[in-house]
Amino acid sequence: MNVIFAVIFLAAAIVFLVHDPEGFLPAMLAGGQKAATVCFALLASYCVWLGFFKVLEKSGLSERLARGLYPAARRLFRSQDRQALALACQNIAANLLGLPGAPTPPGVAATQKFLAAGNDYAADMLFVLNATSLQLLPTTVIALRAAAGSSSPADILAPTLLATLVSTLAGAALVILTRRRA
Amino acid sequence: MKYAALLLPLLFIALFVYALIRKVRLYDCFTEGVKGAVPLILSIFPYLVSVLILSELFERSGLSALLTQGLAPAFSFLGIPPEIGKLVLLKPFSGSGSTALLADLLAQYGADSYIGRCACVAFGSSETVFFISAVYFAGSKKSLLKPVVIALFSNFLSLILGCLFCKIM
Repeated sequence: MNVIFAVIFLAAAIVFLVHDPEGFLPAMLAGGQKAATVCFALLASYCVWLGFFKVLEKSGLSERLARGLYPAARRLFRSQDRQALALACQNIAANLLGLPGAPTPPGVAATQKFLAAGNDYAADMLFVLNATSLQLLPTTVIALRAAAGSSSPADILAPTLLATLVSTLAGAALVILTRRRA
Repeated sequence: MKYAALLLPLLFIALFVYALIRKVRLYDCFTEGVKGAVPLILSIFPYLVSVLILSELFERSGLSALLTQGLAPAFSFLGIPPEIGKLVLLKPFSGSGSTALLADLLAQYGADSYIGRCACVAFGSSETVFFISAVYFAGSKKSLLKPVVIALFSNFLSLILGCLFCKIM
């Protein structure tokens, strides 16, 4: 990420230098402002979902839901940490359902647990699953298509799902293949 | 599509009723969960700022437009309409920016056109890779090159496949 940051930052700064030196600082400030706005929006949605997940945990339902998924999750993430696996399962379920903002709190918690246990592989796997879009129903796209006057807004569902399925499997396979043998 | 909206209220009702049966003190419990939101945001915030500043620089400098132009031949070779190139380049950085761009594309080319459909599939089958890596790996010292490259590659794969499926389906 350090490399990516340096390359893109410097390239953009040079373009600014040549074309529009006065626009450089406003662009950075706009980024900072966006981050502040986004953080407030995220904070609101994390509040709701962290409350939800706490109730899920305290009711014992999270334990029960995760129990059925343990064998699969244990093999996928190569981890024995029941708590981290339960969080990872919640993250994946929230992703599949497309609940906006919901996957992040359990996902971050699971990643931190995996990393603390030295299981970089599991953290990478969870990240790649999240970053290849697991959503079953692309609600944002369908809403935008409907707003733009599409005759069948849900028409892109099949190609989207197929493409996502293949790319998610490919991503997971790559994580497995590039795993450093301990 | 109307039924999708029922999911959220049903989910909360089901959970809360179940929790009440299991004698969970709902108010105390929900509040305790909310407590975790501020520390979570604080740990994410610095990373979010860096990624969003980067995304803003990328877009406003004209770098994304330059790259879109430069990559157009490569995109058309892979069967990706060059018109959606900018969307493809912006999506890894910013969800809100690419959402606005998708709306523009749909308005310009029409939601049911080939370009419009490709744009929708490209948008729906990809994720904001840099944004997610900032959030998920906040505070970690490990090298992110491998997972980020794998994620970008997978998203690119789904883009090519998505455009192909749009053509044949």
